Amino acid sequence: MIRLVMVLCLLAAAQLHASTSQELLQFESEQQRRLYAQLTAELRCPQCQNQNIADSNAVVAVDMREKTHELVIQGYSRQQVLDFMIDRYGNFVHYQPPVNSITIWLWLLPVLVLVSLLLFQLRRRALQRNMQGAEQPSEEAAPASQQQAALDQQLDQIIERYRSTKP
Amino acid sequence: MRKVLFYIPLLAFLGLSLFLLSGLFSDPRERDSAIIGKPLPQFALPDLMSPEQIWTPENLKGEAYLLNVWGIWCPTCNAELGYMSQLRNEQGVRIIGLYYVLPEDPMFGEVFDLAKLQADVQSRLQAFGDPYQFNILDRQRRLSLDLGVSGAPEHFIVDADGIVRAHHIGDINPQVWRSKLAPIYQQWAAKP
Repeated sequence: MIRLVMVLCLLAAAQLHASTSQELLQFESEQQRRLYAQLTAELRCPQCQNQNIADSNAVVAVDMREKTHELVIQGYSRQQVLDFMIDRYGNFVHYQPPVNSITIWLWLLPVLVLVSLLLFQLRRRALQRNMQGAEQPSEEAAPASQQQAALDQQLDQIIERYRSTKP
Repeated sequence: MRKVLFYIPLLAFLGLSLFLLSGLFSDPRERDSAIIGKPLPQFALPDLMSPEQIWTPENLKGEAYLLNVWGIWCPTCNAELGYMSQLRNEQGVRIIGLYYVLPEDPMFGEVFDLAKLQADVQSRLQAFGDPYQFNILDRQRRLSLDLGVSGAPEHFIVDADGIVRAHHIGDINPQVWRSKLAPIYQQWAAKP
């Protein structure tokens, strides 16, 4: 019986420990909670550069999470929080950088390559068709029929000779 | 026309090679600072050694200085103390420390103890050299966040009017100082 009580006590303690060790954040509404989750997922940690701040435990990521929480509670919108962070850490800190004179090439270049390849292919097709159209009647078809006629004639001659030598 | 077309793939290949080659020598951790050209953000923070003294952007004005974000928990910061002391003593560079406190974890019974921190900092500065005019204590790292600090060590050059002129992430060594920071510092320190 005493053992059972002790085990239960231990379990309860472990439970308590687990619940206190988690980061329990208070929000005023479900909307704020969702905004916080969205923001911490799309803000990038400036220290461990390939993690978002929700994933990272670097000091700066912890501070940025705290700040995000504070601003969300204060009623900042998504764009206002993003602007606050970009103001301090630059466009680097957001996983969706704005389109500007440099980043526009990331969007334009694939389209340009695709269009130029298409044009190239169309040109090649047109050239090939022209060549086929020009060649068939003049160079290939005519000699073929002439050769055929010559061969037929030869064959006829051979047959004729064979017939004539027969008794 | 056909000849030009013939060379296009070669040119494209060479261009791509050059682009990728330059990538081999670039630093992927380097990022643009958002604070250069802007005034220091507002703050009112205590001095590390004598907390009754409060520092604000206003009472730091008057002379250009190098603001060094550091902490005794950071080995690179300790390593550069010697060279920065040399800069202070030989070139008269005004260096102000911004002490970056790591968050304490109450789960491990860690609490913030100012007296212990002061003693630790003092013994560290005695051992490695003391480049600082004074240290500003940023316990909540609020000023560091506003400055766009991502870790320690980091350095800012602030001019006499409190405008940030340079932001260097990483340590200061003779090469970095000579090639990157000294020209900017001298330019702004020379201004009356």
